[in-house]
Parts: sequence; structure tokens; C-alpha cells
Amino acid sequence: MTINEKYDNVFIEKFSVKASELSTLKYQEVSGWDSVGHMELIAALEEVFDISLDTDDIIDFSSYEKGKEILKKYNISL
Amino acid sequence: MEENNRVLSFDAFELQKYEPNRYPYLYIDRVTECVPGKYAKGYKNFTNNEWFFPIHYPGHPFVPGSIQIETLSQMVTVAFTTMPEIKDINVIGCQVSAKWNREVYPGDRLDIEAFITFFSRGICKGYAKSYVDGELACEISVVQAIPSELDKYKPRVTKKA
Repeated sequence: MTINEKYDNVFIEKFSVKASELSTLKYQEVSGWDSVGHMELIAALEEVFDISLDTDDIIDFSSYEKGKEILKKYNISL
Repeated sequence: MEENNRVLSFDAFELQKYEPNRYPYLYIDRVTECVPGKYAKGYKNFTNNEWFFPIHYPGHPFVPGSIQIETLSQMVTVAFTTMPEIKDINVIGCQVSAKWNREVYPGDRLDIEAFITFFSRGICKGYAKSYVDGELACEISVVQAIPSELDKYKPRVTKKA
């Protein structure tokens, strides 16, 4: 599985969305991405990529696309 | 209470430091064994004097399933609010699934074992099983959260004009 597929799968499984919907996913704009869902998303990404996100990055992680930018700081190129 | 090796136990008063519910909604009586962040075991005695027995049901009293869920959830709460890093014990329930195997009657003691499977940044996942005289009565899996912790990590959202 590629890095991009791993990243996508976390969102697809967590929020039960299709791949075609990923690019528009944002916090509180999809069912399940509330504060609890957000922490579960972060935990899942940390496990998949074996990283530990800083608090500021967790707060900034407000969308699928924004997440890609943030993960570059952790040497995850998407 | 033994704190040196972190295996704790609490009587009916001590456990209230870790469980925010009070009468008539505090549904655990004693925590007999607790390793903070790992598990908590204890029990609830259901007496003839419970408010719900006369109405659930008249002539055939047994503990409502919702009360059993609450009872087991409260033991899960104690299993993680006893962690030294937890300062706020005001916990909310986020998700629960339950299965019941037998009825619980007046006079029964419900023995409860609760385990934590995940805790991070204010989110706790766990499960609990309960028994009457060694027979499985109810089991749940649950997600709980501490809102004051979650609030620290909420994404910044720019509201649309």
C-alpha cells in the first residue's frame, strides 16, 4: 500500500466516505469528524505512520488537504 | 489502599474522588482493585430499595439495561480517572454498545470488571463485563471523553461569512 493509500484509507474507514469525497473533507463538515472523531483520526494517523503529532499540528489539522501539508513536517510526503 | 505499587482500592466514599456521579445516579458501591489506566474491579449491590424496581416491572423487578450500562460505564471511568495526569473527572459518554445475558434482580450483587484499551488526549476506550454469582450478566464496550482535554486539540475553524 502506498503512503497516499494509507492516508486515504484512514479517512475512508474513519468517516465512511468514498475516495472521491476525500479532497473536500473538513472538520465538522462531515459526519463523525467532531472533537472525538478528530482525536481518533489523529490517533489512527499516528499509528499508521508511526509518528507523534505536536499539539499545534493537531489543532491545525482541519481538513484532509491541510493534513497533507502538516504531515510533510514529519517526512510523510503525500 | 496501596499506592506504592499502584494497585488501589476504594470504599464507597473514596471512589467519589474519581466518579463524578452522585445519589441517586452513582451506581458503583466499591472498587476492590484498580490499576490506574489499566483496569478497575468492584461491585454494585442492588437492593429492594432501588427506585426503579417498583416500576421495572411491577411484579417482576429487574435492573433496567440502561442502568446496567451506566453501572459498567462508571467502573470504566474509575479505571482511567485514577491516572495521576487526570485533573478533571467530568467525563462524557461518546459511544456504547452492550449485550445482556441474564436479568439482575433485587438482592443481586453485580461484580464488575472494567478494562482500558486506549487512552490518549482525553479519549478513553474500554470495555467492562459484569457477573452475578459468577454468571455473565452484561458486557459493554464504551468510548468516553474528558471535554476539557478535548478542547485543547480542537482544530481552528474559520466560520463562513
